[in-house]
Amino acid sequence: MNTIEQIRSGRTGILIAGNHEKIVQSILDFDFLSGKKEPSIVGLVSGNRKAQKFFFGPREILLPCYKGFEQIPAEHASRIAWLLNLQSGRRTFDSTVAFFAAFPQALGAHLFAENVPERHATELIRRFGAEKLIAGPSGVGLVVPGYLKLGAIGGTDPVQLSASRLGTAGSIAVVSTSGGMTNELIRAVASAGKRLSFSISIGGDRFPVTSLTDVLKLAESDPATATIVYFGELGGSDEYEIVELIKSKQLTKPVLAYIAGIIDEAFDEHMQFGHAKALVARADESARAKRDALLAAGAQAPETFPQFLEAMRSLPSTDFHDTVFDTAPLMDRHKSILSTRTILDLSDAPAFVKDGAIVPRSSAMFASMSLKALLGREVSATASAFVEAVFELLIDHGGNVSGAVNTMITARAGRDLVSSLASGILTIGPRFGGAVTEAARTWIDGVSSGMHAAAFVEARTKGGAVLSGIGHRKYRIGIPDPRVATLAQFATLLKKHPHYDFARSVEEVTTGKNGSLILNVDGVIAAVLIDIFVEVDGFTAEQLQELLDIEFFNALFVIPRTVGFIAHFMEQKRNDEGLFRLPDDLLFIRDTKPKDKPDTR
Amino acid sequence: MSRVKLSEYRAKKMLLGNDYAGLSIRTEGGDTLPKDGRWVAKVDQGVKKRFKQGLVVVDKSAAELNAVIDGWRSKGFSQFILEPFFSHNMKEEQYFSMERVREGIRILHAKDGGVDIEAHPEAVKHYLITSAADVPAVAATSGMPHAFLQNCIDVFDKNFLAFLEINPLVIVDGQAHLLDAAVLVDDAGAFFTDVWGEDDLVRSKTRHPAEARVEALASTTPASLKLSVINPDGALFSLLSGGGGSIVIADEAQLKGAGSMIGNYGEYSGGPTREETYLYAKEVIGVMLASKAAKKALVIAGGIANFTDMKSTFSGIIDALTEVAQIMRAAGIKVFVRRGGPNEAAGLKIMREFLEKESLLGSIDGSDSIITKAVDDAIHFIQI
Repeated sequence: MNTIEQIRSGRTGILIAGNHEKIVQSILDFDFLSGKKEPSIVGLVSGNRKAQKFFFGPREILLPCYKGFEQIPAEHASRIAWLLNLQSGRRTFDSTVAFFAAFPQALGAHLFAENVPERHATELIRRFGAEKLIAGPSGVGLVVPGYLKLGAIGGTDPVQLSASRLGTAGSIAVVSTSGGMTNELIRAVASAGKRLSFSISIGGDRFPVTSLTDVLKLAESDPATATIVYFGELGGSDEYEIVELIKSKQLTKPVLAYIAGIIDEAFDEHMQFGHAKALVARADESARAKRDALLAAGAQAPETFPQFLEAMRSLPSTDFHDTVFDTAPLMDRHKSILSTRTILDLSDAPAFVKDGAIVPRSSAMFASMSLKALLGREVSATASAFVEAVFELLIDHGGNVSGAVNTMITARAGRDLVSSLASGILTIGPRFGGAVTEAARTWIDGVSSGMHAAAFVEARTKGGAVLSGIGHRKYRIGIPDPRVATLAQFATLLKKHPHYDFARSVEEVTTGKNGSLILNVDGVIAAVLIDIFVEVDGFTAEQLQELLDIEFFNALFVIPRTVGFIAHFMEQKRNDEGLFRLPDDLLFIRDTKPKDKPDTR
Repeated sequence: MSRVKLSEYRAKKMLLGNDYAGLSIRTEGGDTLPKDGRWVAKVDQGVKKRFKQGLVVVDKSAAELNAVIDGWRSKGFSQFILEPFFSHNMKEEQYFSMERVREGIRILHAKDGGVDIEAHPEAVKHYLITSAADVPAVAATSGMPHAFLQNCIDVFDKNFLAFLEINPLVIVDGQAHLLDAAVLVDDAGAFFTDVWGEDDLVRSKTRHPAEARVEALASTTPASLKLSVINPDGALFSLLSGGGGSIVIADEAQLKGAGSMIGNYGEYSGGPTREETYLYAKEVIGVMLASKAAKKALVIAGGIANFTDMKSTFSGIIDALTEVAQIMRAAGIKVFVRRGGPNEAAGLKIMREFLEKESLLGSIDGSDSIITKAVDDAIHFIQI
């Protein structure tokens, strides 16, 4: 089965490197118009975002974006058969090599950049030329009507896709080095009442990875293709490849060709035309010589473009049944400017009281609903119970802690609830309450590194860095934090708890240095919850990474402590002791020596 | 994307490093000429057949150099090289070239022939280097010193060369002497090498100022913008789009016998913005307005674009036309349009409205009409 037939059998998953919104959207439009239920595009490897919005039909969708080829989750990776490389000529070589290293089973690629160095192109030929179908460098890609649109080929406007009848499979293969003329010919085939079997824009560069010969052999071996329509230009010797294939009977299907560049005869000196190859270096590369050679071999090669179009009308063609694209749903689409999901579904509000009695509910209902809202999925009873415990224990930790102090001072200054609460909340950070996410990152890194705790601590604390999740101002060895002890009990519910174990062995190392460097409440929350998520809820490494990226773990402190800060606010309002001012004897004023003073003379 | 000529000075410096004793003379009064010795002086601007044109002098004393170079300067040349004179026997002259081809590097070599090689194609032997392992065998068969060949291949590959010709090459006692060298580099490789740069590229033709401005503009955008002024007093000027489509349209003019009327060739493609299209169109229109032809036409044509937006590029062209609409009207210039692509209906609509309002409309068509329609109409207009 040749590559074109493999495409027709469904191997159409595309991974995009770089981005070109119009081209990406046109592929999605082609998919939708062709009646596909889901987009052929699996994702984009581009930039620092995680998703980008596009339309699939009239609806918006988010396409996932990845930093590198190796980051694509296994469940999507299996679908990938094609690379659409939209990166610049400087990056094309490296990213193409990286793609095929990550997806050796992929069928091919289109390389869109116009300025890929020749040396890179010949190296790509050496590595992949025999195995893969690679359209470019340069050009507009590859299209198999109804199945695959890999690149700008056929246009980027739904009206164009429809006018060129790209939903209907036919029997004419269109091949050209020129991207613009590929599209012109695709439309000409439709206007002549014929339909395409496939079309490949080889690209105007000197060294296309998949050569004209390769494409012609593909057309010859493709059962659906009956005729080949070709557009070539002066310069290069591609057309002699066609002549050779016809003479050696490797190409038996009829060829209709137009070779542009007669205009060159009007100039004294050979001109460099638009494409890299189009500089006549030897006499036999002139448009006239190449056309004559094609005619002699038995191909049709009309002298003028209008004659060429006329000849196209008389080509034999198999019957086809037109799949007419309905472009109406694609018109007047407007992009939204924000995207989110439904956090809480209130369309089906539960009954809390029924028949004069309270309906019994799970004891960890608030934690359970909070987790569902934060994570967008249901979690286990163990996870809910743990988070319920966290919420309960973390409501408050006394009026001495910095967030509570700020709340109280703000309340005393006469500010309202929200302002005072905000003042407290804004105090949460790496030194106070906001280290749960960082602690989680420490345990995840530690366990996945496979290092011993001692070596890990050594590596992490080099240069004076502190370990999140370790250390407390008040508690120490001998005065344990009661919250840590009680939360740690959850680990006993699990068969395995590697993150908790790791945290404890880190604590053993750090308390050996200083008795106050104990596992703190941030650290234990992170360690035990990760273990619950992995062991009970089946979270993957990628999902854990995402929890770090979205700062999930810090929310476990912010949610309950909000209640505590509000309580401190209300207490201030109840007592109303007036504006707070720090007494002089509690404020140390540093001596400023005269030489530090600015000269005011 | 293109192969461009490198100065001979830079080519030899790359190949020979510090062993190269040649001097590059570029700025008038800025470079000191040698005080003694015997010298070869050449114009170093990629001129073909320069010996026959008197742009090379051999075996001159240092005292004579100034006059020679001043003479060339008065002919408009500005870049020269001086090399110590190397005496050799004509019979020792060999031919050597390398070219990057699909399979690797193709080497052509002839033990005899040298300068007259074109008269003796049968003397040329072909070799193909596909990997480093091929080099010893080629050296042995050709009789070229292994170290010389290896160095050429390394320099060629590392510095993104596309073509290298040394003719004549003289080998004495296993030592290669490069008498004349010509190099084409792949300009897409410029980013990856610091051995040659923009300053080392030579352009032999005296260019039209509009061409130079378009080239400068093109270097600042990923889109493709090209302009060649063919006949400054031509009648048929065009704003063409697409590398292939633009040739089809120019061909049609040639086939209709209007080749001599063509004022310019060029193309814009690859999705230029409205502003870039404006700047490009302005240059073409400027050349057209300067033409002394009695009757002139502007052709705005191209194939059916894949992703270049018709509305925004046509808006850019309209911006440029607006500035000179009155002058064009007074000169009786008409505009002929055929173009297809994304946003076709909207693009055609604004262009039609503009040309009608300014009384500049010759004809306007979209992708339903043949690609050659606008140029056919324009030729007809000029000829009546």
